[in-house]
Amino acid sequence: MKLSFSAEDEQFRQEVASWLRDNLSGEFEKLKGRGGPGDEHSFPQERKVWEQKLAQGKWTCVGWPQAYGGRGCSIEQQVIFFEEYARARAPGRMGHIGEGLTGPTLIAYGTQAQRDKYLPGILDGTQFWCQGYSEPGAGSDLANVKTRAAFDQASGKWRINGQKVWTSLAHESDYCFVIARTDPGSVGHKGLGFFLVEMDQPGIQVRPIEQITGTSEFNEVFFDDAECSSEDIVGEPGEGWKVAMGLLGFERGVSTLGQQMLFQNEFDEVVRLARSNGAASDPVIRQRIARAHTELKIMRYNSMRMLSGQSTGDGSLQKEALIYKLFWATWHRSLGELAMDVMGPECEILDAPPYALNRLQSMYLFVRADTIYGGTNQIQRNIIAERGLGMPKEPRGTL
Amino acid sequence: MDFTFTEDQLLFQESVRDFLVNEITPERIRRSWESDSGRDPELWSQLAELGLTGMTVPEACGGLGMSEVDFVLLAQECGYVALPEPLVHSTLVSVPLLLELGGELAAQWLPLIASGEAKVVVGLEQNHWVEDAHIADLLLLQRGGNLVAATPGEVNLRHNESVDPSRKLFFVEVGANAQVVASGATASKLIESAMNRGALGAAAQALGLAQRMVDLSVQYTSERHQFGKAIGSFQAVKHHMANVAVSLEYAKAPVYRAAYAIAHAQDIAWHAVSHGKFAACEAANLAAKNCIQVHGAMGYTWEVDLHIFMKKAWALANTWGDAGFHKARIAQRIFAPGAALGADATFA
Ligand SMILES: Cc1cc2nc3c(=O)[nH]c(=O)nc-3n(C[C@H](O)[C@H](O)[C@H](O)COP(=O)(O)OP(=O)(O)OC[C@H]3O[C@@H](n4cnc5c(N)ncnc54)[C@H](O)[C@@H]3O)c2cc1C
Repeated sequence: MKLSFSAEDEQFRQEVASWLRDNLSGEFEKLKGRGGPGDEHSFPQERKVWEQKLAQGKWTCVGWPQAYGGRGCSIEQQVIFFEEYARARAPGRMGHIGEGLTGPTLIAYGTQAQRDKYLPGILDGTQFWCQGYSEPGAGSDLANVKTRAAFDQASGKWRINGQKVWTSLAHESDYCFVIARTDPGSVGHKGLGFFLVEMDQPGIQVRPIEQITGTSEFNEVFFDDAECSSEDIVGEPGEGWKVAMGLLGFERGVSTLGQQMLFQNEFDEVVRLARSNGAASDPVIRQRIARAHTELKIMRYNSMRMLSGQSTGDGSLQKEALIYKLFWATWHRSLGELAMDVMGPECEILDAPPYALNRLQSMYLFVRADTIYGGTNQIQRNIIAERGLGMPKEPRGTL
Repeated sequence: MDFTFTEDQLLFQESVRDFLVNEITPERIRRSWESDSGRDPELWSQLAELGLTGMTVPEACGGLGMSEVDFVLLAQECGYVALPEPLVHSTLVSVPLLLELGGELAAQWLPLIASGEAKVVVGLEQNHWVEDAHIADLLLLQRGGNLVAATPGEVNLRHNESVDPSRKLFFVEVGANAQVVASGATASKLIESAMNRGALGAAAQALGLAQRMVDLSVQYTSERHQFGKAIGSFQAVKHHMANVAVSLEYAKAPVYRAAYAIAHAQDIAWHAVSHGKFAACEAANLAAKNCIQVHGAMGYTWEVDLHIFMKKAWALANTWGDAGFHKARIAQRIFAPGAALGADATFA
């Protein structure tokens, strides 16, 4: 055990901080603190340009291996990068899904041709991705996807038909990875394929869904004979589930480091507010803040502990990650409640019409989603008990 | 001792519920969000025709002369439909305050309230903002230790948006020449009484809101299938709902007890109200949290009706004293020298 950063790592910290200081300015100044949880709909175009700026400094995909164009940063350096990124209040990452999910999945499961085709656009911040997993009938029961992919011999392409839902940032994305059924008549996790689908085509319609915040970040996506080339299936037809689950491992692993650091910012904001409006002198509030801080530390230490002892070596997580999602989602939801109690009666008042929530109010609403997406709290508990503890399985279908 | 409502009270609740559920649909509430005032004069006339605007107005002034105990169940139903109109405010706060003030003011305004021709709103400093000031014909406002009566011409309104799009809140500036209607000890007594009534109204509505969220969720989880089964059949989902049901059912008694204490002008009304307001709003917030959770991503949308009720519950929890305020009052009573807390103090 060694609980400190090396001199070299601290040097790296200086490098990140000074690059952000020099570059997160001018046209990007207004993006500070924007685009985070509950605010993803803000400034999408400007944040895409910011991704390209990051790319110029080689600050996208810092954890990817150098062989694939990344920086090959160690876990320590990735932690440092995300710490400084959050400290600088740099904007929420539009490239998050490509960098955190698509890239590592293609590196692990894709062909060289797929990597050559897709990794550069992610690295240089010009191509953006969304996640086509959930469907109206497939939420917690993800393996129940009904979207079909049929190979059309005449055109030599896959044709995709069906519907996805809750697809975050689909309206801002160039590509979507889609789980679809390749074996007609198959059920559950057998008979699926994992496809890389271009969004800008006549066979795809995107309809935004208005969220509880009054803004729209997720969408319904309709596939009506959407096309996908024969080279754009990852893994074999019928074996997409393995790829899909591998991707979930990345989703729950290193890719959440950035989000962790944002928690720190939100926590700091709650503390700042408590200081300025006097709530800090309320003993009940003080104790709740102390609890939140302790749990924040617990999360940070545990995420580093998990990542430094990585069993998989590729930035994905296994059993520990199950606990992690449940813990941070629940913590975050309580932070929302705490934030409102710190605000006091002011928490009822919006910044402006129409329905302009301030940051803490929108956080309070957004945290409701944390305990739902990426596996609900109930599903997480089932998994912890069944896979983690080996308890008997609940009588239910697949997954 | 009898902790039940009479048959008449329950019948009245049922008929008002039928009316409200038919009329105040979620679609209608969404339409009201699009309108400028957010209020529907026609609906107010309908409420007046049913006698609801005059529930607590004495019969001599054209009302039904009923008590807080009679009205508390109706306030609950107003919560159940998330009624945007200020019926609970008017009936539980404005009318009793006018009655307590008495004199010409009461004689002039009470009949107009009962007939639905006028609306009176009350603004206390505890709340910072005044509800429905934009449609008020008379405003009774706390200014320092005084209560003043102001007509719309005498006030300056600044609209503040609420997290509940149905609530219309205003920062009110009042001219120096507004008429002082109470001052000193009289005023502070009236202010406290109005505060307790407002909290009772919020608590009763919170019960209704929680019930609505439960009903919506029981229905949704019975219809929605995952893993080949209704999600309501999963124990984790059931327990979410059962926890709300317990919290909600048990919050009712303290709210009814508070209504009784106010109706009978008992000295203990203030802390009875605090028990009720705290418990009911806590139940409603728990309902919001658990009901969103069992809806999955659906619960996170604007399109699904659940949020209409969730947001009103959020807002009401923070007005007429938030949880901290009411718990502090309860603690103040517990630790007061010689506080009656023992076996012989059940209703003290
Ligand atoms: C903000 C947000 C963004 C999202 N972004 C994306 C995205 O980009 N791409 C994508 O594919 N999806 C996305 N999702 C969808 C998300 O993954 C699903 O919402 C999630 O998997 C839950 O599915 P569901 O909403 O259908 O809820 P359901 O599965 O219908 O669950 C409803 C309730 O039932 C409970 N439940 C279900 N099954 C069981 C069980 N067996 N035991 C106990 N309880 C159970 C759940 O815990 C929940 O409380 C997003 C969701 C949100 C809220």
